[in-house]
Amino acid sequence: MVNEVRTADTVVRLDGVRKEYGETVALDGVSLEIRAGEAVAVMGPSGCGKSTMLNMIAGLDRPSDGTVVVHGESVGELSEKGLALYRRRRIGMIFQFFNLIDDLSALDNVALAAQLTGTPARQARRRALELFEELGIAGRRNAHPAVLSGGERQRVAVARALMNRPALLLADEPTGALDSRAGEQVMDLLIDLNQIGQTLIIVTHDRHLAQRCASRLVELADGRVTGEQALEPAA
Amino acid sequence: MRAVWKAARAAVRRRRLQTLVIWLVTLVSTGALVVALGLVDAASAPFDRIFGAQHGPHVVAVFARDRVPDAQLTRAARAPGVEAVAGPFAQAAVNVPRGASDYGLGGEITVVGRAGPGGAVGRVDLWAGRWATRPGEMVLNRQSEWTADDLGRKFHVPSGPTLTIVGFAFDLSHTADAWVAPEQIGALHPTGSQLLFRFHDAATESGLRKQLAEVTGKLPRGALAGSRTHLALKHRIGSNARAYAPYLMAFGVLGILVAVLIVANVVSGAVVSGFRHIGILKALGFTPGQVLGVYLTMISVPAVLGCALGTFVGNLLAHPFLKFAFTGPASGVLHDSLGIAPWVNLLALLGMPLVCVLAALGPAVRARRMPAARAISAGSAPRHGRALGIQRRLASARLPRSVSLGAGLPFARPARSALTLAAVVLGVTTVTFAAGLAATLDSYGNVGHSTYDVTVYVGNHRHGKEVRPVHGDRELQSLLGGLPGATHVTARSDDEALLVGSTQVVMFEGRRGGRSLDSALVRGRWMRRTGEVVAGSPFLRRNGVHLGDRIRLRKDGREEEVTVVGETLDTDDRLVIGAWPTATALMPRVQPIAYHVKLREGAGQEAYARAVRAADPGLSVQLSGSNSVTGTIIGSATGLTLMLALVASLGVFNTVVLNTHDRRRDLGMLKSIGMTPRQVTVMTVTSMGVLGALGSLIGVPLGIAAHGVVVPRMAAGVDITLPRAMTDVWHAPLLAVLALAGVLIAVLGALVPARRAARLTVAEVLHNE
Repeated sequence: MVNEVRTADTVVRLDGVRKEYGETVALDGVSLEIRAGEAVAVMGPSGCGKSTMLNMIAGLDRPSDGTVVVHGESVGELSEKGLALYRRRRIGMIFQFFNLIDDLSALDNVALAAQLTGTPARQARRRALELFEELGIAGRRNAHPAVLSGGERQRVAVARALMNRPALLLADEPTGALDSRAGEQVMDLLIDLNQIGQTLIIVTHDRHLAQRCASRLVELADGRVTGEQALEPAA
Repeated sequence: MRAVWKAARAAVRRRRLQTLVIWLVTLVSTGALVVALGLVDAASAPFDRIFGAQHGPHVVAVFARDRVPDAQLTRAARAPGVEAVAGPFAQAAVNVPRGASDYGLGGEITVVGRAGPGGAVGRVDLWAGRWATRPGEMVLNRQSEWTADDLGRKFHVPSGPTLTIVGFAFDLSHTADAWVAPEQIGALHPTGSQLLFRFHDAATESGLRKQLAEVTGKLPRGALAGSRTHLALKHRIGSNARAYAPYLMAFGVLGILVAVLIVANVVSGAVVSGFRHIGILKALGFTPGQVLGVYLTMISVPAVLGCALGTFVGNLLAHPFLKFAFTGPASGVLHDSLGIAPWVNLLALLGMPLVCVLAALGPAVRARRMPAARAISAGSAPRHGRALGIQRRLASARLPRSVSLGAGLPFARPARSALTLAAVVLGVTTVTFAAGLAATLDSYGNVGHSTYDVTVYVGNHRHGKEVRPVHGDRELQSLLGGLPGATHVTARSDDEALLVGSTQVVMFEGRRGGRSLDSALVRGRWMRRTGEVVAGSPFLRRNGVHLGDRIRLRKDGREEEVTVVGETLDTDDRLVIGAWPTATALMPRVQPIAYHVKLREGAGQEAYARAVRAADPGLSVQLSGSNSVTGTIIGSATGLTLMLALVASLGVFNTVVLNTHDRRRDLGMLKSIGMTPRQVTVMTVTSMGVLGALGSLIGVPLGIAAHGVVVPRMAAGVDITLPRAMTDVWHAPLLAVLALAGVLIAVLGALVPARRAARLTVAEVLHNE
């Protein structure tokens, strides 16, 4: 078992988290700690509660019981507005199906995240452009999401997730909708981000992705943590 | 078929909110449509309809009994061109002095001996009691002013028999004030024989006169004592309906447009938002025809239920509107015959579901042709960013991002937004038009209203008997002026006189006290000296009299020449107003019928009325209140406006529900990156606020134009000219409020679904994707 001691640089702490949807128990007393700079992969069969756990950490859903503390904030106790501000400041999310807004250009999709915080449009676009350049998609900044490839779309989604410099980057099956080449590109990107200190939680079915990108593996089954193991750093 | 029904039922269950919206919108829209069509129908031809129902006479001719016997009249009436004839009926003129028991029949009344209310021509509507079948009985020509409780009361004919009222009947053509049995008429000394004609060609006055001349050609000279045509009658009666018709018609047309637009928008939107579902059905093996069937069934169930209930509700709502507009002495509507025409109900019951099916058919056929994969992918927001350019520009705007995002949303679904905009425009047009109408009518209704607070009538009724005042005229005026609170008293007389050179009867109103009372001067000036008069617009128009013209009036053999110096805003086509010396010059024994009393600021009307009653039991008091006719129009206009604004708001509501449904993934994503619930609400409300602002921009000028078209026609309907001050109602504060009408309609419609969107659970939305 990895790191059972609570340390000062703990970013995420789940304590006995339980989530019920009617009679279905999605999470059943999950406890977990994640430290700053860690890259944690969460794996398990379908319906084991991986995405539910990620949603709890992201503040997209509230636990039925237990606490989720991120950077000292008890997520479950935040108001709706508090949760929105929390997501804005602390969290960057990457989805399997990208979730880009079709009406906006790639650049505007990314700038949007900063503009919601009140950042002026010009400044937001400048920051978005920097990210586009870092992620190698600057040439596609004015493209419409519908004309981007899957890999490009996911890189745009990553750029959007990084826009507000989040403390925690959450990725839900980030390569699930990509072909192997695009998947590899996204994996490289996540590794690079983690190497520069970005705390990362990846929910995946893909053991290869977990092996490459994560330093720790958390396994879930039937809403419970069934195992944790340290992973070798990516080659 | 079973699979279609099953899938449709499941779709209805799954889309409970959408089904509810379709049901609600079709209900309200159909209700509005029924009211609107009912008003249009009633306003189109109230006279023609009732005249047709009564088989009204095209010509009412009265012949002198001493010149031509009835048998000869009967033979003459068989002339070619005569379609049908009723009579001859013996006709008597009975002089009834004004008094407490005359049922308002003061002066000379026409009594006709008639065996029954039916016949080939002039079928009168016996709406209370029974027909007079034997001597001593009488039926009064009344619409509905009296209740059946008055049946059985006695009516004393001076120097004649006492008749018992056994029935009330309404005759639009007003062939008599009262009817008695043929056996009774002899006792009333009839001097005329009445024939009621229907001619094959009744379109023109000259044609009717020519045909009547053919009938009377072989009769003795001077046999025809008088006649009148239904065309003249048509113009004379129904002035209320003529005044209301343009405004009701305007509301009717607006109502129909709003109702159809909203239903089309709601239904087509429901199908478009179901494209993904359509794709899944196809993937499951549903044939294109079955898919079409599922969607038409899914739409039809709530739509048909909504239309049926809406028709019922529309009938309930229409009744009070029709009642106020089309009843009353001058409206020409049969007692208790008010209601929605069957064709209106039929059209609503069949037409609205048809509109729904047609609106659903377009997108449903498109979906039917669409390959399954494309239909599935078309389920979410548009793939090709139609709004891309606009969103790009808005993204750079110095606006909060939630506002700029919302402002761009309507461009993503241009057809849906256009239909919603059209509904908002019509809503704003209605609100603007109604506001202008209310301002004009308020101004009209309050003309001269501040000039007096209490009207004291000479004479009172107690226990069915008239009580005359114990004081004389001059005494009364000073008595009323001396009671607490009174500041000014104007005496008023009303007497009939004749306009020399015509058959026009003039109602000469004499005034003593110099106040303008409740008339407004449209042109010219008020009378200043003896021999000067002012007259109402209809009087001047119908008699071809202009300001400065001199007219001669005759009363009891005495003639006076007067000069018309002003035109007043009165609807009475007989009204001529002069100062007291002018009245006494024409009628030396003229007496006031009423005194108008102005009270000092803060003095109570009720307290003054009590003081008047205590001072002289022979006086009756009426307190000035708001003008009931204008009040009713304003009230009904407000009701209709609220109804149409509600329908327009429902259209917006539906659009937001559909947009939210279509864009739930985007909303979930926006929330996941930190959009607060408030920002989601602002974004969603802004998306409709843009349409609302555009709606105001287009709708306010349209409403002003509608006011400019309708109000003069309403005034022309009662032969008056409204002064400019009454039609120039578009002042800056009012326009500023109206400019917000569209935004208000949009925001009200958007708020509930916007808040619902703000509460979307992100995890569920994104997980479902």
